[in-house]
Amino acid sequence: MSGSLAASGLSVRYETPHGSVHALRHVDIEAHPGEVIGIVGESGCGKSTLVTALANLLPANARIDGAIRYNGVDLAKLDAHRQRLLRGDEIALVGQDPMTAFNPVLTIGDQLIDFQHHRKDFSRAQKRARIAAMLGRVGIADAERRMRSYPHELSGGMRQRVAIAAALLTDPGLLIADEPTTALDVTMEAQIIHLLRELRREYNGIIIVVSHHLGVIAELCDRVYVMYAGEVVEGGEVDAIFHDPRHPYTQALLACDPARFHDRLDRLPTIPGSLPSLTQPPPGCVYAQRCGRAFAPCKTIAPPLVKLTACHAARCHAVTP
Amino acid sequence: MSPLLAVEDLSVSFVRSSLLDRLINPFPLPGFNVIDGVTLSLMPAETLGLVGESGSGKTTLARTILGLVRAAAGRIVFEGREVATRSDFRAMRRRSAMMFQNPVASLSPRLRVGTLLTEPQVIQGLPMPDRRAAAKALLALVGLPASFVDRFPHELSGGQARRVGVARALAMKPHLLLADEPTAGLDVSVQGDVLNLIGELKRELGFATMIVTHNLAMIRHVSDRLAIMYLGRLVETGPTQEVFSAPLHPYTATLIRSEPIPDPRRRSHNLAITGEIPSVFRRPSGCEFHTRCPLVQSRCKTEAPVYRPMGADRLVRCHFPLQTGGQEREAVTRASANQRGN
Repeated sequence: MSGSLAASGLSVRYETPHGSVHALRHVDIEAHPGEVIGIVGESGCGKSTLVTALANLLPANARIDGAIRYNGVDLAKLDAHRQRLLRGDEIALVGQDPMTAFNPVLTIGDQLIDFQHHRKDFSRAQKRARIAAMLGRVGIADAERRMRSYPHELSGGMRQRVAIAAALLTDPGLLIADEPTTALDVTMEAQIIHLLRELRREYNGIIIVVSHHLGVIAELCDRVYVMYAGEVVEGGEVDAIFHDPRHPYTQALLACDPARFHDRLDRLPTIPGSLPSLTQPPPGCVYAQRCGRAFAPCKTIAPPLVKLTACHAARCHAVTP
Repeated sequence: MSPLLAVEDLSVSFVRSSLLDRLINPFPLPGFNVIDGVTLSLMPAETLGLVGESGSGKTTLARTILGLVRAAAGRIVFEGREVATRSDFRAMRRRSAMMFQNPVASLSPRLRVGTLLTEPQVIQGLPMPDRRAAAKALLALVGLPASFVDRFPHELSGGQARRVGVARALAMKPHLLLADEPTAGLDVSVQGDVLNLIGELKRELGFATMIVTHNLAMIRHVSDRLAIMYLGRLVETGPTQEVFSAPLHPYTATLIRSEPIPDPRRRSHNLAITGEIPSVFRRPSGCEFHTRCPLVQSRCKTEAPVYRPMGADRLVRCHFPLQTGGQEREAVTRASANQRGN
């Protein structure tokens, strides 16, 4: 089963002894089966909170407003038991750290069998056969032997492949990869990007890739949402985001990436200033303090989401269609 | 001009035979060289980028240079004098500094920033009339407010902790700064900040820098020369711009081609390299890169290549180095396109 995903007006705040932290504010995103969606932003932008909310894994002190509709069902309103059923069946998560994704005292094979716990229709032998096939698909040679290995016997890149296999074994309609290559070397990163790209040909669900690495996003995604300080500031097709960015933050973020410059720079570009406080978000635009194009209303009025083309939109006062 | 630092044929071996080992096994296994025959030099005020994947031994090399890891063979010459004994290293460490990989973890959580910053002078027994003032001067040097002297490391952001790391490394006015992954874990907008700071202080104070990293996109903007490591050996050295525009070693070429490009119009559709860096315990025979090399020939499997000069200022350890013409690199592209998957 695969359906569309849409978050509308999604806000998440964490209640802490020091006040509420508004980690996510009025976020609208949508994703359709067969799409690879990128979520890019720097640390503190709320991308992890967003994917945790999508996977229904927010901690107990989180308060959600708005709706997350998956296949027509509002995930935020489901009871705990129904949420539990969706997670691991329909929604799978590949984490950032392949070192801690597995239980160190169980073999890979045993853990991958457990990942299929909801598939009551398969026997243990059938599950093992599925695992062997899936390990082959993610590029692990000698699957039978690997199933008898313990996680520490595998390298980081291999473990990330197994984590992807584990996620796909559940036939999810929504696969969330949270910084899938951050812990890996560049040669292994290239291989995982290649693997994800190959997999999407046969996979018809939604893939959401979260990364701070612009290169990974550009290589993999169809559409991209750029986040800053808990808001989606710009969203659009990957080509529009990288070649016609309209929000000043997207432009600044792209300008900072040293990989975009071929010749040696004497000074690397930076974004001066720092993130606004998430306990007391500014009344106007979240980027106004650091923005070179800010004018009077930016400080006081929250900018509307300006629609630029059918699927390109930016949240900025200075942007006109 | 004589080099500030010269490393000659340096090897590090991680097999230590304890007394018990020797009793059980009187014929110990040959040592596994984590670093094997590394030769490189660093000129005063130069920036050298030491690049490689994890497991290539780049951090171990940096630590060995400062005497934190014992070398099994080879020579280290710093400012014209050989560094061999413990007291030599201690004297060398007074004029050199290291920025360790994890900035927060390398600062003691129980000490305030002010204490941390002046610790090097105290350890080296240098006179310091006003510790607080000295700490404030260092904070000003790296652009942090003086009020930070009373902060604890956990109260700093990643970028601020790096700045404290820079200040602490420069407290002794070193002639040599070794920075181990100075920007790992930082956002791109902050990464530029830290590197610009190191660059500015370098121009001002004139120290030489060795940056250990796996981040190619960053190192091409901040280094004068590059040394590429693979499995404990240098495979190529040369001026940064030349290495990037015309890599000689197939490994360097694949490393550059593996870097994801932040441009959806230039997606790379074939894989530059497959497989993983082998373990030093099972070092491949001949050229250690032959198991992954897209241009491997039969000679590479049996005969280890020597380190040979190419052109004015470049060295490469390969039997069949890529020439500066386009032909060979096209061959790499083709060969790797045929080798897809795993």
